[in-house]
Amino acid sequence: MGGDRIEGVSFSLWDAVRLGVDYIKRRRDRAIINVASVALGIAFLTTLLFTDSFYRVHTATGGASLRVEAYQYWLMIVAIVVSVVGITNAMLIAVYERYKEIGTMKCLGALDRHVLMLFLVEAFIQGVAGGLLGFLMGIGGALLSTGFTVGFGVIFKVPALETLTVLVGSMILSTVLSVVATIYPALRAARLDPVEALSYEL
Amino acid sequence: MSFDIIIQLEDLARHYEMGGVTIKALDGVDIEINRGEYLSIVGPSGSGKTTLFNMIGGLDRPTRGRVYIDGVDISQLDAYELAWLRCRKIGYIFQTFNLIQVLTAVENVALPTVFAGVPRDEGLERAEKLLTSVGLGERIHHRPTELSAGQQQRVAIARAMANDPAIILADEPTGNLDLNTGMEIIDLLHGLNKTRGMTLIAATHDTKMIKASDRIVWMRDGKIERIERG
Repeated sequence: MGGDRIEGVSFSLWDAVRLGVDYIKRRRDRAIINVASVALGIAFLTTLLFTDSFYRVHTATGGASLRVEAYQYWLMIVAIVVSVVGITNAMLIAVYERYKEIGTMKCLGALDRHVLMLFLVEAFIQGVAGGLLGFLMGIGGALLSTGFTVGFGVIFKVPALETLTVLVGSMILSTVLSVVATIYPALRAARLDPVEALSYEL
Repeated sequence: MSFDIIIQLEDLARHYEMGGVTIKALDGVDIEINRGEYLSIVGPSGSGKTTLFNMIGGLDRPTRGRVYIDGVDISQLDAYELAWLRCRKIGYIFQTFNLIQVLTAVENVALPTVFAGVPRDEGLERAEKLLTSVGLGERIHHRPTELSAGQQQRVAIARAMANDPAIILADEPTGNLDLNTGMEIIDLLHGLNKTRGMTLIAATHDTKMIKASDRIVWMRDGKIERIERG
């Protein structure tokens, strides 16, 4: 084309991370809603897991036999579904808010998959943050709900490996939930017709 | 095709179906635009200006006819190649500036260089130079909300030039600006057209902008009504 060859456009994962962090920093409210949403679901899960650990430690050290009821796990699943729906909703709103910016980015050379990547990276970061926060809230919740019966010192008797497993598991699950919840909104954003996106008035 | 022709439109048409009615946004447009030319496109709203822009900018596909840019029929390009075209060959300027709100002025200007694969430091350096050249050297770290309308449009102009495109498409660039600020923007665009030899195509109602141009294309009902020398 006029001497120069048609090459591609580029947008690395690192570029997406940098821009994603900017979006999270500047649109903090939306990010907080998403992080809180996934954190609550994860907190519910880790509360139950730690309650279970605490009871086992308590029983093993000669205390009365206590256990987590099955219905509590059902409640946890409901909490997680609610958090996924919450994130999807918040991300859909984020897509609408950014219609014009998405159109503009496509004018500047962004491909569909770059837009997709941008939204998924944001979801990933929020998922990791939500997992960590949810884990901490979960330990707190379990201590508060069981500490008075089994004693607060129980936390130091849970094997480190078990705690670590729950931490890693929480982070992975929350990241997966956050990313899964964002797939639909992100696909919508990526497939936006630039002409339509540019003429959109919020 | 002569090498001096950068854009050639052949019987270009774009029809939409809307509620069972066919709307002819463009209906057979033929024109050749020279490299380095300053072209104003004038016409009532709904006359097809924006659709014409979208066609030249590779944002929309024609129902009929051809768009050649530098001799390449852009309807033959795939999504990847079109993105490249938008990124490297064309700079867009909008009535509403369309800056990315979360990014600073210098980051906004550097954004097209990211897509062009320019290393980050080099892109930011280039962006800083461009912002200085449009008179915003002191405000490179401001965000769009901290800039006046005229300053935002300057940032948008710097961004449009980031990859040194051959063509600048400006859709009502002074439409949201007061008279004096609009004049400054017109002077700036005109200067870029003359000093850098960028082909400038502007849709406008602004008589000052029209007066500065080499040719004026009058559009009506999706067709070129007449072409005047400026």
